[in-house]
This record gives sequence, C-alpha cells and structure tokens, in this order.
Amino acid sequence: MKNILVVDDSRIMRNVIMNTFLTLKMPCNFVEASNGKEALYQLQKISIDMVLLDWNMPQLSGIDFLKQIRAIPRYQALPVIMITSEAAKYNVIEALKSGATDYIIKPVDETKFKEKVKKIFG
Amino acid sequence: MEKYVHPFIDACEDVFRKFVGTELFAERPFFSHRDDVYTWDISSVINFTGEAKGAVVISMKKDLAAKITAALTGNFHEEVNEETVDAIGEIINIIAGNAKKGLEDAFRLKISLPTIIQGTDYSISWPSDKTRVISIPFKIYDKESFCLSVAIESTGAKEDA
Repeated sequence: MKNILVVDDSRIMRNVIMNTFLTLKMPCNFVEASNGKEALYQLQKISIDMVLLDWNMPQLSGIDFLKQIRAIPRYQALPVIMITSEAAKYNVIEALKSGATDYIIKPVDETKFKEKVKKIFG
Repeated sequence: MEKYVHPFIDACEDVFRKFVGTELFAERPFFSHRDDVYTWDISSVINFTGEAKGAVVISMKKDLAAKITAALTGNFHEEVNEETVDAIGEIINIIAGNAKKGLEDAFRLKISLPTIIQGTDYSISWPSDKTRVISIPFKIYDKESFCLSVAIESTGAKEDA
C-alpha cells in the first residue's frame, strides 16, 4: 500500500488528482494537505511514498516546500511530481532544478499522469 | 497590449474544454473602462508581477458559476458557497498559469493566488494605471455567457533566467 501525499489548496483539484490516481488501480492511501506547511507536517507524521504537489498555495508554496525537503537527506529521493497551472518553460526548469521528479501541467491529462506515476512506481 | 490577449483566450478555451468539459465560443473583444461597475455576481482575480504587471479577471452570474461547479464536483449549489469559490478560483488559476506559456517570450511573470469578489455593482482595482483593459465575452452552454478581462503591460524590468 502506497501512501500518497496530495498537496493543493483547491479541494476540487485534490479530488480530481485522487480520482485520476485511482484509475491506476494501485493500492494506495491518500493523505491531503492544502499548503506546503501542512504538507511538511504530514511528511513528518506519516511515511510517504510520493508527493503530488501544487505550486501556488498560501502559507508555503509548493516550490518552497520542495526546496525545503530536498535539503533534508531522508527526503532527497522521495518522488515529487509537481501538478500545477504554471505552464511556462522557466517554471518547469525551476521546478526540476529544485528537485521535482516530474512535472504535470493542469488541466491534468489522465494518460500523461498515469505514465508519469507508473514510470516512478514501475 | 492586444497581442498579449490571445494566450488568455487560448488558455480559457483549453481549460473549459479539458477541465470543465465544455466548448466555448469567444466573441469580439472590446476595451473596457478601468472604472466600469461590474454587474456580474462573482469575479475571480489573479494579479501578475515580475517583468509585466496586470491582472486577469473572470466574471459570471451565480447561476453559471453553479453549473460550472456542478460540472466539476457533481454538486449543484444555488447560492455561491465555498465549493463555488474553489471552482472559479481554480479555473482562473489554470487560465493564468497556462497563459504564461504563451507570454514567455515576452516576459517572465509571477501570478498571485486568486481573489474572489462577490455581489453586484463592484469595480476592479486594476494594478496598472495606464494599461487598457480588454474584455472578452465567451458564450457557454448555448445561451449563457461570462467575461474574461485582461490588463497587462511590461514593467521594463528583466529578471534573471
């Protein structure tokens, strides 16, 4: 059973992401957070196998959350897929340089989403 | 200014097709007055900063907001509530973020979190004093409509790549 941390300030988008993930038919347990600060708290509390991370959120943005966790040795290999509306190339480059494992632009394309998750979990 | 509007039209059509699951018909854009009073029921605003400043605003009647929310969630709410605010806020967020791609050769931008304005007879406080506001009416669900308004202008600043 994989523990998937879904971080997005939109509840509707968290549901879209979780429903898309469920189409993979992979046994999983979802943990939700509505900003980077909540995500940090959940990460310390539960053993997480993958983070699906929005960029623009209140309190602590996804990109700042990513930079913070990549500075901590035990989270350096944790798969983090950014799922964000930020579609400009310079944003994609910044996220990958900051340690994102992969990058998905909203609206989420189900086929691409599944390919990227399968690439990580095999 | 006008050339910067097309990425917003393209992003809006794409977001409604892929996220909401409906086609739009963009009507002829027009210049709005900066101090126009909005008679819609709900607007969601995202501001731009960085190498340009401005904002993009989506405005609609609450009945349409309810239909769009229902398309995304399966829940129909007659009155604007937290779920409606979430839906309209996420739509403008995706439009703004996607439009950045079409503008990336012109300037690097940062987008704010969406702000929601509810009620009737309100006006938008546009970030730039000189930039003209362009409004694009869209037809949706055959006879209904909403409006996307954009004002964006270079600040002359250049950010490091």
